[in-house]
Amino acid sequence: MARTNAERQDAPTVGEMLLRHGISRRGFIQYCTAVASALALPPWMGPAMADQLRNAPRPSVIYLSFQECTGCLESLTRSFNPSIENLIFNVISLDYNDTLMAAAGEAAEAARDKAIKDNFGKYVLVVDGSIPTGAGGAYCTAGGRSAVDTLREAAKGAAAIVCVGTCSAFGGIPFADPNPTEAWPVTAIVGDKPIINVSGCPPIPEVITGTLLQFVSTGKIPDLDEHRRPKAFFGNTIHDRCYRRPFYDQGKFAKSFDDEGARNGWCLYELGCKGPTTYNACATLKWNGGVSFPIQSGHGCLGCSEPNFWDKGSFYSALSTASWGKAGETAPLRVLEVAGGAAAAGAVLGVAAAGVSRLHQHRSEHGPDNEPKGS
Amino acid sequence: MTRLKDISVRVEPGAGIAPITAGMVAAGGLGGGVAAILAELVTLLERLADSGTAAAIDLRSLPMSPQDRVELERALGEGEVQASVTAHGVSAIRETGIAGIWWVEHRDPQGAPIAEFLEVTRVPQILAAAPEEIAAAAAALHAQITAIAATRPS
Repeated sequence: MARTNAERQDAPTVGEMLLRHGISRRGFIQYCTAVASALALPPWMGPAMADQLRNAPRPSVIYLSFQECTGCLESLTRSFNPSIENLIFNVISLDYNDTLMAAAGEAAEAARDKAIKDNFGKYVLVVDGSIPTGAGGAYCTAGGRSAVDTLREAAKGAAAIVCVGTCSAFGGIPFADPNPTEAWPVTAIVGDKPIINVSGCPPIPEVITGTLLQFVSTGKIPDLDEHRRPKAFFGNTIHDRCYRRPFYDQGKFAKSFDDEGARNGWCLYELGCKGPTTYNACATLKWNGGVSFPIQSGHGCLGCSEPNFWDKGSFYSALSTASWGKAGETAPLRVLEVAGGAAAAGAVLGVAAAGVSRLHQHRSEHGPDNEPKGS
Repeated sequence: MTRLKDISVRVEPGAGIAPITAGMVAAGGLGGGVAAILAELVTLLERLADSGTAAAIDLRSLPMSPQDRVELERALGEGEVQASVTAHGVSAIRETGIAGIWWVEHRDPQGAPIAEFLEVTRVPQILAAAPEEIAAAAAALHAQITAIAATRPS
């Protein structure tokens, strides 16, 4: 059925928005093709994504920031391809982000409530930051509502939740010992929604925008790994794709940051590089539009996209001596699942304080490996 | 304290690539990656000839050294058609010396390469006009004729 002019004005399709901004069909094919290539999708997916998106209304995205440093949003705003302005103006309708939006105070809160009501069941909820549950959630409040309450309410109508950054995905730095605010990742609070974790401290900007674009264009959750991270970006370790890997294989290691080996670009394993146990796309997508990544700049990987990276010993101890082991062995999600004795972690923390105290009790029964932070 | 000039610089050899001779592929003289891409292209070309099914290889998904790239370009050669599409960024489309294989490179508005494919097809999709655009174009051209006619003195 043909769309009326009023419909076009109120809820333009992506294609109509593109035309308003002077971007042609071919321009959008170029754009989607590049995104599909970055996402490691089959080559025909780019034009297919372009077709699909052009005829669909722009999906509503609500971006909530909790216990975080805004580093993830800083990263996101530096996405080269797809660029954030392209994503915001053309492909998605970013209905709430307290940092980027022009509205403030009650008007901003009202915009979020309206977006939730108007798009109930259809919007993508992006969460940045961990959720503190200590002191009744008082460590993070906005407009008189605690983070944990705001998250629960916004999650009810979400089609999917994208956790941007290690804090919302795994608890991150707020979750680190001694976790004074009793912070948790989103998976500990919400148990009944599809959740995609885009971890990293911060995540690579193109990984954030690419994940969002893939979801809104296909409407499907991408293939995820055991930590719910998209395999397209988190399918390989840094080490697997590192250009210094041949030196590792040859046993050539830098022993200090200024020795002959470091100058010759040898492997940084002995200087504490966590590349072998860290799953992320830094070695292939790189940073700043593909300019470089930490190892290329002469510093080992910190493992920031893995659960509990902050508490796994020194960044400068070799993996063989540090307490890393297999990537992500001590993900908080697993602790919660064990604690609840049920499949859904969210069901456990759905009853907030009581759930948390049960968890603490359970962890102390199960020795130091499952010991939570701050119990 | 180490000074900048004391840091050794190693230059990887890039020059002196031997020209590809007939039979090099068969003799296994090419880098493994290039030989594999060429073999895949043969399969894709045969499928295009038999059933008209188009396909593409995403070059950025394959680990290729600069030398592999030079070898691949040399093996495929240059065809007769070069086109460029200026839309979101610029796309360069080159027909290779092998009919049906096109080298397509997309760049972003700042000129940085963002995607690169070998397309196996009669003509790359991005060059063709879209049916819905053609329908709208007829109406737009008709309106233009009407407008011109209206401005003519009767």
